Amino acid sequence: MSKQEPDMNTNKSEQEPIVILEHVCKNFGGFKALTDVNLTVHEGKKIVVCGPSGSGKSTMIRCINRLEEHDSGRIVVAGKELTHELKDIDAVRCEVGMVFQSFNLFPHLKVLDNLTLALKLVRKMPKLEARETAMRYLERVHIPDQVDKYPSQLSGGQQQRVAIARALCMNPKIMLFDEPTSALDPEMISEVLDVMVGLAQDGMTMICVTHEMGFARSIADYIVFMDQGEIVEINPPMEFFENPKSERTKLFLKQILTH
Amino acid sequence: MTFDFSLIFSSIPKLLSGLGLTLELLILSSFIGLVLAVFTLLMRISGRWFLMAPAVAYIYIFRGTPILVQIFVIYYGLPQFEFIRTGVLWPILREPFWCCVIALSLNAGAYVSEILRGGVLGVDKGVLEAASALGISKSQRFIYITSPIAIRLSLPAYCNDTISMTKATALASTVTLLEMTGVARTIVAQTFSPYEIFISVAIIYMVMAWMLQKGFGLLEIRMSRYLKATAG
Amino acid sequence: MSEIAGWADDFFWGAMVVIRIFAVSLVLSVIIGLIGSAMKLSGSRVTQAIVNAYTVIFRGTPELLVLLLIYFGAAISLTAIVQFFDPTVKFIEIPPFWAGAFAIALIVGAYMTETFRGAFLGVDPGHVEAARALGLSQFQTFVYVRIPQMWRLALPNFGNHMLSLMKDTALISVIGVEEIVFVAEMATTVTSKPFTMYIIVALIYLCITTVITLTVMALEKYANKHLASSR
Ligand SMILES: Nc1ncnc2c1ncn2[C@@H]1O[C@H](COP(=O)(O)OP(=O)(O)O)[C@@H](O)[C@H]1O
Ligand SMILES: [Mg+2]
Repeated sequence: MSKQEPDMNTNKSEQEPIVILEHVCKNFGGFKALTDVNLTVHEGKKIVVCGPSGSGKSTMIRCINRLEEHDSGRIVVAGKELTHELKDIDAVRCEVGMVFQSFNLFPHLKVLDNLTLALKLVRKMPKLEARETAMRYLERVHIPDQVDKYPSQLSGGQQQRVAIARALCMNPKIMLFDEPTSALDPEMISEVLDVMVGLAQDGMTMICVTHEMGFARSIADYIVFMDQGEIVEINPPMEFFENPKSERTKLFLKQILTH
Repeated sequence: MTFDFSLIFSSIPKLLSGLGLTLELLILSSFIGLVLAVFTLLMRISGRWFLMAPAVAYIYIFRGTPILVQIFVIYYGLPQFEFIRTGVLWPILREPFWCCVIALSLNAGAYVSEILRGGVLGVDKGVLEAASALGISKSQRFIYITSPIAIRLSLPAYCNDTISMTKATALASTVTLLEMTGVARTIVAQTFSPYEIFISVAIIYMVMAWMLQKGFGLLEIRMSRYLKATAG
Repeated sequence: MSEIAGWADDFFWGAMVVIRIFAVSLVLSVIIGLIGSAMKLSGSRVTQAIVNAYTVIFRGTPELLVLLLIYFGAAISLTAIVQFFDPTVKFIEIPPFWAGAFAIALIVGAYMTETFRGAFLGVDPGHVEAARALGLSQFQTFVYVRIPQMWRLALPNFGNHMLSLMKDTALISVIGVEEIVFVAEMATTVTSKPFTMYIIVALIYLCITTVITLTVMALEKYANKHLASSR
């Protein structure tokens, strides 16, 4: 409910965090994708996750809405612990919005139906109300005029904005972004980042995997650096860029900032 | 040796009556086969071994043996058993027509379920994950995401299979059924003019195949509207 | 059980006939497919049209009809030709084995044509250009670059065509070739155990198609070796 409110999260850190990861491990076969990952995200916070390819960034955020099941440790999302006993995983999932690198829009549905499908099926919202909600969020991502098109008729940047609107429609408590701009042509990156900045300014809780360091600098409360399945360091942007603690972070920053 | 057109013209009425039976066989078996295929598909992708195993066995057996042999097993073979001849199904199982429908349906069921499975496997995993991430349940994902995309993906193969089915109805002539090929064979046996009759019949089959191809082509275009990119 | 034992060697020899007809038609259909695809790819408008007509006709007509047309049609034509030279000849019989093998080869050849053509077009033109740029001759490019890739692309369909071909062999009992369906018919008239006999036929076919499937799977694994290791 409170997510539309202006940023006033200074005293919210007393509350129960929205996402807790404690000693989370995840293996693929024998391969350790995540080792002892600890992360706590409070309401309204913006976390940017970066790190080299294959370091486990996607795996970590996919564990948060259980697209991957973790092997050990504890994950609590919006007050519910993710375990095998948890019957209604879908109830947790609709509190967590997710945006993928490859958009993953429903190709056979028009933009409007992409947005309203989950509203109708999961939220049991009547058709008209679903449509209104969808239009509101399409306006928010600046493409209300594309509502009757199929995803294949949109540019990459437009598709990703539809994907963001689709996730927002469910009124999630937290948004996860997995490299939302990596599949885009350079000239389209900013239109998606603008939407994300707007979202951040409205107080949305966000975990973003991204290598857009300008974006990270301007909106992140914390930057999480991952390497080889571990969280190497967590720091506010200033600290992270000016004064990185570990050698691995320094090396990574050098590689990413020197071109 | 000449090509006797008058024979063709005089045979047309008989051939057309055979065509009716051919169409009946085709439509009935396609429909029953499709229903069987959907059930088999659901069993096949259920992830439960006691459902998957029978589905796999069924598909394996019917794809691994000739339809002709299947028809013979059902039509000539089953009456070997006393309980079949005295059973409630005997009025059906002694009719060559229904034996052919059974064999062709079972065959279509096996093939089409594999075609549909190909479609289901062809659905982008990322799109299904996006649906999961929105909290859409597994069964709803299957109905609203997987099925429409999978049907569209299966369409070309399904068209080919329907054409194969059309051709397979000709096998009914081997169990005395007077569908189009059966009629043609009796005329040829009387007149001994294979070219005229068989070629005429072949043309009718080809027209049927052509119409199926066109029909499915239109359907595919209709169902592919969402793939037509108009903006860059 | 004793009924089966008495017919075991008939079924064995019937199965041999099936395998022989399979081998003959397979070789013929591959030859037809290669020629057909070459004509379709490089021929003039006219040859392309001929090949198109061939594939449309043989893929749209029931296999049984093709078989009957070729068997009876060839007999009539040959008889007419021979009678032209020697009017005393009454009727010339075509060996049903060869009529059957030829009919099946023509049918499957139509499918092979399409498969080979698709495989040829499926080879990345960039690879061919790269090979030519490296100084390989057209022939070397064909042998070392095209063939190995075509082979991999064509294999799944080729396997399916082999299975269809194998199952089509059941039809030739209709023109009196003494293969296993024919044997089962004979056996049924003597033993009145039709179910047993036809199930044996089905089992024999199932065994053969299983062997074909496994072979194709092994070949596919071999052909895709270089792809598997990169994942
Ligand atoms: N489904 C999977 N099966 C096996 N290995 C996987 C799977 N998903 C990810 N991995 C492996 O886990 C590691 C971390 O992957 P990922 O979280 O996608 O990295 P990142 O997003 O940081 O690039 C990679 O080495 C990847 O190969
Ligand atoms: Mg990733």
